[in-house]
Amino acid sequence: MMPRLSRRTVLRGLARGAPVALALPLLDAMLTGRARADEAGLGPIYGTFFWANGLPWHAGHGSAQAGGTDLWTPATTGADYAVSDLLSPLAAHAPNVISGLTPWTEIPASPDGQSDGHMRGFMVAMTSDRPRSEGFDHPSHTLTCLRPTLDQVIAEDPRFYATFPSPYKSLQLGISTARFHDYGHWNAISYAGPDAPIPPVTDPSRLYDMLFGISTGDAEAGRRARLLDAVLEDAQSLRGKLGVTDRQRLDDHLEHLYEVQRRLDLGDITCASPAPPSSSADLFTQTNTFAELLAMGLSCNITRSFSFMLASPASTHVFSELGVVTDMHTVCHNGDWTAVYNITALQMRCLGVLLDHFAAAVDPTGRSVLDRSLIYAASEYGEGYQHAVAEMPILLCGGANGGLNRGIHVREAGGNLSKAHVTLLRALGLETASYGFNGGETTEDFAELLA
Amino acid sequence: MFARAWAPLALLLACSEPFEHPRATTASAAEGAISRAEAGMTRLTARQYRAVLLELFGETAPVALQEDTYPYLFATVGARSEPLTESGVQLIEEAVDAVTAEVFADPARREALVGCAPTSVDDPCAARFLTDFGRRAYRRPLSAEEAARWTTLASALSEGDVWTGLRSAVAGILQSPWVVYRPELGTPDPADPSLHRLTDWELATRLSFLLWEAPPDRTLLDAVAAGQLSTAEGLNAQVDRLLGDERAREATEAFFEQYLDLGRFDRAAPDPATFPAFTPTLRAAMRNETLLLVDDLVWRQQADIRGLWSARRAFVNSELAAHYGIEANGASAIAYVPVDLPADGQRAGILGLGAFLTMNAHATATSPTLRGKYVLERVLCSVVPPPPANVATELEAEPGEEALTLRERLDQHRADPACAGCHGLMDPPGYLFEHFDPIGAWRDTDNGQPIDASGALLGTELADAGALGALLSTDDRVGPCMVKQLYRHAHGRLNGDEDAAVLDELSAGFDADGYNYLLLLRRLVTHPSFRVIPAPAAEVAP
Repeated sequence: MMPRLSRRTVLRGLARGAPVALALPLLDAMLTGRARADEAGLGPIYGTFFWANGLPWHAGHGSAQAGGTDLWTPATTGADYAVSDLLSPLAAHAPNVISGLTPWTEIPASPDGQSDGHMRGFMVAMTSDRPRSEGFDHPSHTLTCLRPTLDQVIAEDPRFYATFPSPYKSLQLGISTARFHDYGHWNAISYAGPDAPIPPVTDPSRLYDMLFGISTGDAEAGRRARLLDAVLEDAQSLRGKLGVTDRQRLDDHLEHLYEVQRRLDLGDITCASPAPPSSSADLFTQTNTFAELLAMGLSCNITRSFSFMLASPASTHVFSELGVVTDMHTVCHNGDWTAVYNITALQMRCLGVLLDHFAAAVDPTGRSVLDRSLIYAASEYGEGYQHAVAEMPILLCGGANGGLNRGIHVREAGGNLSKAHVTLLRALGLETASYGFNGGETTEDFAELLA
Repeated sequence: MFARAWAPLALLLACSEPFEHPRATTASAAEGAISRAEAGMTRLTARQYRAVLLELFGETAPVALQEDTYPYLFATVGARSEPLTESGVQLIEEAVDAVTAEVFADPARREALVGCAPTSVDDPCAARFLTDFGRRAYRRPLSAEEAARWTTLASALSEGDVWTGLRSAVAGILQSPWVVYRPELGTPDPADPSLHRLTDWELATRLSFLLWEAPPDRTLLDAVAAGQLSTAEGLNAQVDRLLGDERAREATEAFFEQYLDLGRFDRAAPDPATFPAFTPTLRAAMRNETLLLVDDLVWRQQADIRGLWSARRAFVNSELAAHYGIEANGASAIAYVPVDLPADGQRAGILGLGAFLTMNAHATATSPTLRGKYVLERVLCSVVPPPPANVATELEAEPGEEALTLRERLDQHRADPACAGCHGLMDPPGYLFEHFDPIGAWRDTDNGQPIDASGALLGTELADAGALGALLSTDDRVGPCMVKQLYRHAHGRLNGDEDAAVLDELSAGFDADGYNYLLLLRRLVTHPSFRVIPAPAAEVAP
């Protein structure tokens, strides 16, 4: 256990030796002799944006889905592709579109149901791996992952925060509170590891407190941090009595305590805070609120990795603002293409407003949060009518701090979805020889997208 | 999640008889089956952690904590299977800071808590307080090393103010993993090295968190210290005391809220344009009447709990009486009165009430499938597989079907062999409720056509929902299903093969006890399986 204590000491030393977050606006003086913001140590920002229930189906999803028009896939590939109907709310931000991809992961024969798009498509989109077979229970829709989701893989990569720690390694945000089930991945799109879902913050006041209410290294915060030393010490007497599994669970808890303590010890966090937000039941309004807060927090380097669950997998959100009275999951299964189209278009407008706020948050060097960001936008499968995992929708938005070209459509029909993950890891400067697991392994990327 | 919005009910309950503990037909079992199922260390649920704060400080301002999740219906399963996140750990830190700030800012409250007004941290009364507070929080006496740790901390962080030091130590104790989690280490069973027996402290913790959803109080801790839990008489006396406390009533209600899936009812969304009658007050009343029936069967009548699915008795306020079209003398918006339902009618038990009928319907239409699935899964513990991924489940009227009832359309779609297997199980019991619309009001027709509410339960033909109630009131599958659900809740995990023998013994006892729920609880916590665990897995070097 002692190495963990020294690690904390190192972290605290780092935090005290350097400003951990920058005031808004970024002081020009801090950039003296530095040409670019990333050289000031800010680095790229990673975000997963998740929307529910895929796309309005079309023939590309399978013969049974023929009859629906493909309003997603751009008609042309390459730079300056022809923007499709559903992508039009994002056009101003020139997202990269990757079309045609699908999971390549194996489907174990037992237990039943591991091919279900809600389960397999989701896990591959978030982890490049299949769901874990152990504990998989189709009747109760219980499942977990085999490894952390991308946002956690990136946040925990030692290279990602090597030079410039943020108060939070990652944040998880969510908008809709409708849930198909109130457990597991129906309630969270981020996982720290198997059996460790990280449910999102859905209350804007809580998000506000997390971003702008961090105790600022004063005596009172110092007292709270010091008493945690005794808590950590006290945990050792328990740790020595536990079996392997429980000890790991306790160690994970202690890691969280170190992080809480590190935040209490941070000095000089100043981030111009906006007015406290109010909560809204309207999806677009709430997204707008969260996006504005998040963009400001990212400007201040409060974190550099986040996940944003617009609606949960198999969402039961009722889109009454669109005149749809039935919950979304049921709407998909009822085969109501027009309703699914309208719902998907609204979800794209929500992504659009997030990108708008990111683009509007500009530092004195002229770089926006969107320029620094790589936002991987994906859903759980291709479409929800029959849970097809063909033609899964994938976007890579933003400039990845110079790592990503913009406004390109690449298409690979039947291609391995993990190839998108290799691409985004490399765009973030996290050179990865291979990504994907249990059939999804690949060394390839979409080179056209990498700057 | 489970908002309590029915203070007026207290008036009604206050009139009921005082609790008298029921007599078991057999003495507490001295021997019986045990389970060797592995179960990881569990954390407290949010509800339980709040109960810890309440036990230690009395009422304080509400605190935000990581929200409970409900895999397999129960928060205890969530607490064992889904860990605290970093955000959850931070919420505990902030909650503890806020609560201790509130208590220690008030001279009267802090002196009441500490029991004296120490002038320095070296004052013996300060150390006495921390030792006592530590025992209540850890649910066992502190070791000398632990006591020293917290007094040392109080001294180090006193900053010239003894109260700041004590507050810091209290805040530290409340964040200790010994408090946030429920470690069950036990001691090796002398007769069987593969087993550990829970210590009496650990047993008391299990008892109180199951029977109260709250930590042991001083009386229970003192009973443990006096060795009372080591004897059957002492254990029974404490179990009866716990069951006689109001907290047992609240904990029982919490169990049934989860078992009956009322969280899902809270999220049910009937289309407001189609059902303007479904107001927030009607929703709240449907929730209340469900729990009032539970309370009546468990506590006031101490009756056969299978009446949940069959009782010809309901508790309605004026809004519910109007909704159901029944007479209820004395009912008002806030007064719920018991009414006897006609023995030949179709409303029986909670399956005839609004919460069940609404949460298992769609926004604008009933769902015989969902209603039947609930009966199979919740009442009989049958497992119904979900639909295959490549099957369309829509029931849009096709040309020529416009004049059909929903039932007739479901029947036609069930001609598809891919659907026939599961829908052949789920739909027939669901048809029995077709006289109840998507918010539980009576209807004579569906889509202008007369309703056929006949159906079947796993092969037994039934005339209507009333006949289903009569069947379930004596069905021998109902009791073991409830035992299984309670067992999952009590242990925070799914039952497996290792638990089968224990479940069989508990079910047989439940039958012998006339399906009295309180006797089942008593039997469960005094059963030998309740105090043994498998020996921890082999150690590895830390």
